[in-house]
Amino acid sequence: MALLFRMLRRDWRGGELGVLFFALILSVTMVSGISGFAAALKAALRQESNAFLAADIAVRDSQPLPREWLDDAASLGLETAEVLTFRSMLFHGDSDMALTSVKAVSDAYPLRGTLRLSATPYGELREHRGAPLPGEVWLEARLFALMDLSVGDTVSVGEADFRVAAALRSEPDRAGGFIGVGPRVMLNLADIPATGVVQPGSRVRYRQLFAGEREVVTAFTATLENRVSAGQQLQSVDTAQPAVGRALERAERFLLLAGSLAVILAGIAVALAARRYAERHQNYVALLKSLGAESPRVRRLYAASLALAWAGALLIGWVLAWALQSAALAAFAERFTVPPSLLEPRPYLVGAATALLCVLVFAWPPLARLTAVSPLRVLRSDLPLHDGREPRDFLIALLAIALLMWAYSADLPLTLLVLAALGLVALVGALVAWALLRGGRVAGMQAGSVWRLALASLQRHGLGNTLQLVVFAIAIMLLLLLGLLRTSLLDEWQSQLPPGAPNHFVLNIAPEELEAVSLLLDEQQVRRERLYPMLRGRIMAVEGTELPAEAEDGEPEQREANFTWSGEIPDGNELVAGSWWVDGKLEAVSVEEGFAERMGIALGDRIDLLIGSSPLSVEVTSLRSLDWESFKPNFFMVFPPGLLESYPVTYMTSFHLPAERKNFLNRLLRAHSTLTVIEVDAIMSQLRQTLAQVSRAVELVLGLVLVAGALVLIAGVQASSDQRLRESALLRALGASRRHILGSVAVEFLALGVMAGVMAVGAAEAAFWGLQTFVFKLPYAPTPLLWPPTLIVAALLIGGLGVFNCRRVVSVAPAAVLKEI
Amino acid sequence: MITATNLGKRVAMASGELAILKGIQLEIKSGETAAIIGASGSGKSTLLGLLAGLDTPTEGDVTIDGTSLGDLDEDGRAALRGREVGFVFQAFQLLPALTALENVMLPLELKGDDRAGPRAAEFLERVGLADRQDHYPRQLSGGEQQRVAIARAFAGSPRILFADEPTGNLDRATGTRIADLLFDLNREEGTTLVLVTHDLSLASRCARRFEMDSGTLREAAAVEA
Repeated sequence: MALLFRMLRRDWRGGELGVLFFALILSVTMVSGISGFAAALKAALRQESNAFLAADIAVRDSQPLPREWLDDAASLGLETAEVLTFRSMLFHGDSDMALTSVKAVSDAYPLRGTLRLSATPYGELREHRGAPLPGEVWLEARLFALMDLSVGDTVSVGEADFRVAAALRSEPDRAGGFIGVGPRVMLNLADIPATGVVQPGSRVRYRQLFAGEREVVTAFTATLENRVSAGQQLQSVDTAQPAVGRALERAERFLLLAGSLAVILAGIAVALAARRYAERHQNYVALLKSLGAESPRVRRLYAASLALAWAGALLIGWVLAWALQSAALAAFAERFTVPPSLLEPRPYLVGAATALLCVLVFAWPPLARLTAVSPLRVLRSDLPLHDGREPRDFLIALLAIALLMWAYSADLPLTLLVLAALGLVALVGALVAWALLRGGRVAGMQAGSVWRLALASLQRHGLGNTLQLVVFAIAIMLLLLLGLLRTSLLDEWQSQLPPGAPNHFVLNIAPEELEAVSLLLDEQQVRRERLYPMLRGRIMAVEGTELPAEAEDGEPEQREANFTWSGEIPDGNELVAGSWWVDGKLEAVSVEEGFAERMGIALGDRIDLLIGSSPLSVEVTSLRSLDWESFKPNFFMVFPPGLLESYPVTYMTSFHLPAERKNFLNRLLRAHSTLTVIEVDAIMSQLRQTLAQVSRAVELVLGLVLVAGALVLIAGVQASSDQRLRESALLRALGASRRHILGSVAVEFLALGVMAGVMAVGAAEAAFWGLQTFVFKLPYAPTPLLWPPTLIVAALLIGGLGVFNCRRVVSVAPAAVLKEI
Repeated sequence: MITATNLGKRVAMASGELAILKGIQLEIKSGETAAIIGASGSGKSTLLGLLAGLDTPTEGDVTIDGTSLGDLDEDGRAALRGREVGFVFQAFQLLPALTALENVMLPLELKGDDRAGPRAAEFLERVGLADRQDHYPRQLSGGEQQRVAIARAFAGSPRILFADEPTGNLDRATGTRIADLLFDLNREEGTTLVLVTHDLSLASRCARRFEMDSGTLREAAAVEA
């Protein structure tokens, strides 16, 4: 034991254990930290999505739901709430009335997320949790202008009167589908009997909401799954997919990818450091053996010192991982209603296991083979060094990397893509290196002596250099790839929500109002987007088969939809089947693919529509996919120009209005009381805030991966430094000048850096294309502007590290270097 | 007692096999001192390696106190070395990160000796380095480093001591003092000493002298010690 500790101390001082130790610490830190952080992000994602449900899970039905479900949930300690929605007329005085969408909620609503209210229609927002008081209603802002209402007025729903208490500006569980739904009226569930509007047979949606601790919710969900009947729909996070969720999901994938790349880098650093460690220990093992140490003993000694290094790295790595998580989560602090625990054991165990695997697969093989060192080395130090590179090790290491990445990212395509890129680098690296080194030697013969020395050295170290080259190229490639992905993700988010993107929609603009509304907007210098004509129609039959007026849940039924026409494919839409308008064929329609599926519509089907009272028959000539998160007007059905112009039509558009100018809406609606304004600025600013936070986290992790990359570069340069030191010392002993030696070392490493840079850029572009196309589903564009700086930085960095590493040879007497090694 | 029977060593070269040692016959009794002399490349270090079990012969066998090294595997030979054999090398082979005391303790610790510290200190005192115990090799002169190596070799109480050019890296005066120390300790401990050198004056201090020449060995006429 004493010997073990002395050996560790010796190794620590010698520096070779240092890199190994740091690499292990890094792998623990990265894996524990990033997986902990990713888990927390997932929790954030869940909370975010749950807010869009106003609960953790919900059940929906068109019939009243069993009461005992609420009681059962309550007895398990879950919070519950009930929601009823239906359409009803809202009356004000004798003449004003409007068709509204009434939502009656119990006192605990919403269980997740918050309501936003304001005292005046577009006044200052305040957050609120809980239902309106009995006898009070909250009205959507546009109703105030529509019905000439103010807070304090009395309105009636059915047979009951209510006092208008506030403007309802947003509710958590109202995402998407905002066009065409009547303006919202929210009231307390307790007031429903008094209204008398909910009768048997009324079209009412019933929802029960549940929320609570994760395990309890999961268990309760399982029991509910067995109890729900055909018409009842269980809603969970998976069914609510807001834009925020998508962004968080991509960020999470990026983090996992970054984490797995960091693990690969740390693994390579561990492998390189262990190799060097083993090389430097050959004399030591030879001496121990000459002094009578048997192989098992030598093996035990190294196993114990690795185990100690692992344990030490665990302790330090865990502390650092904790700090990393705290720092990363600090950016998200306001997002969490319940901040996630930083002491969840799982990430720490995952980190420990990963580091253990690194130790076993990357560090142990070269050390285990130390026992094969011949004790004869004590007599003959010129014996060739025991070669630790065995193909089997490489295969096992590659397999381990694949498993680690897969386990870590839980994403097979991503793993395979990165592995393919690694393989490409290794293969092309070996070939290119071989060719370049041979070519370089020929060219070098004609060059000056510094160059000749450098190129001769490059060639002499053939195999070692190739390995170094591949390692450098892989490190640079992974860093480059990550940098590219980060930039692309941030750009994508930025372009999804550019500053000044439209955050209000205005609907129901009558053709005769168009000019006045445009004028008003222009006068206020409000930037508006294109106008879409809009009309409502009813889908009556598909392929001659009448749709029922009302069907069982999920089955196609007659329904209304918003129609528009457009000469071009609308922004953000993509054709997935069929073709865009064919000349001369006017009676055509392009249908959104999800809508088509729900309605049982296929390409080529003939659809019978009813617009007002006039029937119209059209053929489905294309199916489109569209981005529901784009905050742009989206339509299920788009018609060719020239078909619908004769029907009564209104227009819609969107515009950007900064928060401080919200009052303009009052003016707009006073002047044009029939307009409908939909606000999406609240959700957009929430999304923007989330993206900013996620971006910070991404940057933080990228920084950490950079550290891992630097460690690999250092370990790579160190890998050959002993031999180089010895050779340089010899050259110096032979009279080579300081300038000469440093010059040749610099040229050698600069050349290595440039070659590695070329390979890295090629492989990174290929992998970037693959990841963008297959994993992140984002557009790919080549990045030639990045190539020259990468090459320059790679050359300077590796050249600098090389010179730095060999600087000792020119400051210490050659004899000292020769004797020491 | 060390015996070598028909010992040979061949290595594969690009141009074919090269016989480094051929048909070596040797017998050194317990307590004897023997020198193997010869020019550079004559194969004397190879022979030392084979005698000490650091390397394996291609023909013949070595026995140490009746144990055939050929019957032992690498670990068996290591165990034998740990029990019976000590080394002094030309390049000292001290571990740079261990102090003088720790270097001497190394073989004792490998044997599991509980009193490694005091024993090592005693031997350092016997080589005259009691006050340099905590110095690192780089803080010691060449002669002092070799004295530490000698202390390390004797601390394990070996029955046989192999010395490979023990004065080869030292100046003449220091070399003489190191040789004095080596032979004094050898006498006091009653160890068998096998010495490889090309220094004839050092060789002349051994009871028996063998001469290596192109891979063959012959005993020079015995001299009175």
